Amino acid sequence: MIKCASEADVVEAVRDAHGPFEILGAGTKRGFGRAPEGEGLDLSGVSGIVSYEPDEMILTAKPGTKVSEIEAVLAEKNQCLGFDPPDWGPLFGSPASQGTIGGAIACDVAGSAAIRYGRARDHLLGFRAVNGLGEAYRGGGKVVKNVTGFDLPKLMCGSFGTLGPLTEVTLRVFPEAPLSATLAVTEVTTEAGLALLRRVRSSPLEATGLAYMPGEAVAIIRVDGAREPLAEKLALLRELLSEHEAYEVDGGDALFGELGGGAPLLGSGLAVWRIAVPRAQAVALAKEIAAPLWYADWAGGLIWAGTKVTDVHERAAKHGGHAILLRADDKAIAPFAPEPPARAALTKSVKAAFDPSGLFNPGRMWDGV
Amino acid sequence: MQLSPPDPDILSRRAEIIARLSALVPDGVVADEAGLAAFDGDALTAYRQPALVCVLPKTKEQVAAVLALTAEMGVPIVPRGAGTSLSGGALPRGDGILLALTRMNRILDIDYENGWVIAEPGVTNLSITRAVEARGFYYAPDPSSQIACTIGGNVAENSGGIHCLKYGLTTNNLLAVELALPGGELVRLAQNDGGLDLLGVVAGSEGLLGVVVEATLRILPKPPVTRTLLAAFRSVPAAGQCVAAIIAAGIVPAAMEFLDKRCIAAVEDYCAPGYPRDAEGVLIIDLDGIEADVRDAVARVSDIASAAGAHQLREATDEGERARLWAGRKAAFPAMGRLAPDMLCMDGTIPRRALPEVLARMAAMSEAYGLGFCNVFHAGDGNLHPLIIFDVMKPGELERAEEFGAEILRLCVAVGGVLTGEHGVGVEKRDLMPAMFSEQDLAQQQRVKCAFDSAGLFNPGKVFPTLSACVERGHMHVKGGRLPFPNLPRF
Repeated sequence: MIKCASEADVVEAVRDAHGPFEILGAGTKRGFGRAPEGEGLDLSGVSGIVSYEPDEMILTAKPGTKVSEIEAVLAEKNQCLGFDPPDWGPLFGSPASQGTIGGAIACDVAGSAAIRYGRARDHLLGFRAVNGLGEAYRGGGKVVKNVTGFDLPKLMCGSFGTLGPLTEVTLRVFPEAPLSATLAVTEVTTEAGLALLRRVRSSPLEATGLAYMPGEAVAIIRVDGAREPLAEKLALLRELLSEHEAYEVDGGDALFGELGGGAPLLGSGLAVWRIAVPRAQAVALAKEIAAPLWYADWAGGLIWAGTKVTDVHERAAKHGGHAILLRADDKAIAPFAPEPPARAALTKSVKAAFDPSGLFNPGRMWDGV
Repeated sequence: MQLSPPDPDILSRRAEIIARLSALVPDGVVADEAGLAAFDGDALTAYRQPALVCVLPKTKEQVAAVLALTAEMGVPIVPRGAGTSLSGGALPRGDGILLALTRMNRILDIDYENGWVIAEPGVTNLSITRAVEARGFYYAPDPSSQIACTIGGNVAENSGGIHCLKYGLTTNNLLAVELALPGGELVRLAQNDGGLDLLGVVAGSEGLLGVVVEATLRILPKPPVTRTLLAAFRSVPAAGQCVAAIIAAGIVPAAMEFLDKRCIAAVEDYCAPGYPRDAEGVLIIDLDGIEADVRDAVARVSDIASAAGAHQLREATDEGERARLWAGRKAAFPAMGRLAPDMLCMDGTIPRRALPEVLARMAAMSEAYGLGFCNVFHAGDGNLHPLIIFDVMKPGELERAEEFGAEILRLCVAVGGVLTGEHGVGVEKRDLMPAMFSEQDLAQQQRVKCAFDSAGLFNPGKVFPTLSACVERGHMHVKGGRLPFPNLPRF
C-alpha cells in the first residue's frame, strides 16, 4: 500500500511503478466491479476542501475528502451536491458515511434527485489527475460554462479509476430547496404506478423523487420549493394523480436516501443490480428479470433488482436497458456487460490514451480496462 | 491565425477523389468553383477557404461509405452542419472533403413517454421544439442561431444558449448518438450505457472524433409560466452585484442576460425593443416554472434588483413585450454588425465575482487598440460575449481585432475562467489553448483524439495549436489486452 498525501506523491508513485495499482479512497466500494488487483494506491490522505465559493456555487476538493464532510460544509450555506450521492458503502459491507468524493465520482454514485439535477457527469466541471505516463494534468475548468477543449471530466465519471487517480475535483453545487414534501399513492399496480410516475415526469412539477415499490404496491413522489410554491405543487400533483388517493408521508427525504443507497436490497443475500432503462420500458424489463426484490427510481428509468438470475445483462438489453452488477456472492458474473466489438475497441483505445501500460485498476471493468 | 497550406499530393488526386465520391453519393457532390464558394466558411467570417470538394450524403450508410473512402485515400474531412460556427469549426480545407450533413434532416422518432426525439444531424435546433410544442414539450438548448443551426453541429460544439443557466448545454440534454468513426464504422454511445462516458467526450469535440449520424435528445415539459423582468442600472458594477445577489439567494433564473450601454444603443437603433438608453447596463431576466414558484422568484428578484440600485425595473406585461425584450438581446449581433463591416464575437467565461475588474480592463484595452466593442453577457453563468467591431479592409485592423480578442481571453483565463463558454475553439482560439492548458494537458486531450482518429483525418487544424502524429503523443495501441509495465526506458 502506498499512502499519498499530495498530487506530487501520486506522480512519484506512478513514475516508480513496478506493476499495476488498485486506486483507493476510503475503500468503501472495493467490492464494486471485478476483483481489484495491484498494489493499493491510497488517496485518502489527498483530502480537504481546496476552495468553496457559495456565491459562484462552485467547490473544489481533493479526492480523498469525505462526501459527508462536503455535504456538511455545503449545508451551512443552504447548498448541496446536485447529483445527490447516496452512501453505497454499506452495500459492500463498509461502515456508513465514509465514502470519498473521488470514489463517488469514479463509481458514478447518483441518488433519486439525479432525475431532476443530473448525475456526477453533469456536475464535475474540472479535475486534476495523474496519467499512466506519470504526468499530472488538468481537464475542464472551474466555471459552470466551458467548452474549451475536450470534455475530459465526463470521461472520469463512472470510469472506476481505470483512467487514473483523480487528485482534485471541481464541482458545481446547487441551492438546497427550503422545503420538500413526499406524496404516496398506495395499492397501485406496477403498470399503473409506473405510468403515474411518467405522467408526473412529463409535467412541469420538476419532481425530485419518483419511485415505485412493488412489494408495498406504492408510488412515491417528492417535490420541493419555498412554502407557497410547494403548496401549489402539492395541489397540482394531487390533480395529476386525480383517480388515485395520495397521502403525504413524513420522512420522504430519508426514504429516498434509502432507495438511492439500495437499502431495501441489503441483507437479502441476492445479487444487487442497478439497471438504467428507457422509463417506458420499465414494466417490461421488470417482468423480464422477474426479480424477487426490486424497485424503480427515476420514474422507471432506473431499476434496482435483487435476484439470483445471472443473465441480467442479456435480459436488460432486450428492453434497451444497461445493467451494472453492484454486488454478488457469485464472482463469475460480469459486473459490466460485454461491449459490441467496435465499441469495445474504442473503450480500449481510450483507456490506453490515459493509461498506456495498464497501471490503473486494470481489469476492474473488463479484461484490460 | 495562419491556415496550413494544402497537401499537394492530395490536390493532385482531386479528380479521382471526386469520381469516387460521385459513385458513392451520385446526386450530392459539389466540385465546381461557384458551388464550393457557397460552402467556403462559417460565421467566423474573417476566414474563407474553398474545400477540395463538398459531399452531401443523404443516409448514414453514405456517410459511412464516404468515411471509409477518406480513410483509404488518406484525405482529411471537415464535417459541416449549417455553417453557423462562430469559431471556424466548419472552415473547409483546400485539401479536405467537406462533409455537409444538411440533407440528413429527418426527425426519426418522437417518444413522449420516454421524453426524447431522435433526429438526423441536419435537423435544425428549432425544429425539434416545433415538432413537440403542440404536446407541451420543448428542447431546452437554444443557441441564438437556432433557426438555422443543426443538431449535428450543436453536438459537435456542445452549444448553449440563453437558457442553459438552468437547463444545461447540449451535453446535458443529449441522451445518445450514433457516431460514425474514421473508417466508417458506426457505434452507439448513450448516457448511462454501462461503460465509459464516451458520449460525454464526443459532445463538444468539434468534429475531431467522429461524425454524428443520429442523435437522441431529451425533451422537457414546457414550464407553464415564464415572466420576464428588465432591470436597468446606472453603473455596471451595480448590475454585477445584482447578478451575484440573485445567484447567492438560491434563485436559478431560466435566463439572465446583460447588455452594456453601447449595445443598448445599437439594439435600440436596430429594432427598438424598449431598453432605456440612459442606462449603463440592463439585465433581462426570465423566471419560469409553475405559477407560485415564479411569483415568489419575481418578488425576490425585484427586491434584490432594487436593493442593488436598479433605477428602472419593469416586467413585460404581455407576450408581445416579452418577445420584444428578447428580440433585442438576440439581435445584439446583427445590430452591432451595422456599426462596422466586420465583427469578432468573443466567448470567454469568468467567475462572476471578476466581472467588474474584467469589464474595466476591457474598456481600457478598447482605447489602447483603438477599436470599438460592446458587451453582451450571459450574466448568470459568467459567459461574456464582447463584440469587437473593425474593418477588415483597413490594413492591420483584423490583426489588431484578433489581438484585442486574444487579450480579453487571456484575461478571462487569468481571473480563473476559460477561453470559450459555448462557441468552441475551432481555428479562432486554437493558438490560445496554451494560455489555458499546459503541454501535458493538451497532450492528454490529443491522446484522446488519437484513440478515436489515429490517422488524424477528422477536422485537422482545429482546436489544437500543433497536431502531432499520434505516435509522438505517447499513444500506444493495445495488443492482446495485455500491457507491459512502465519501468522501461521509454518513460
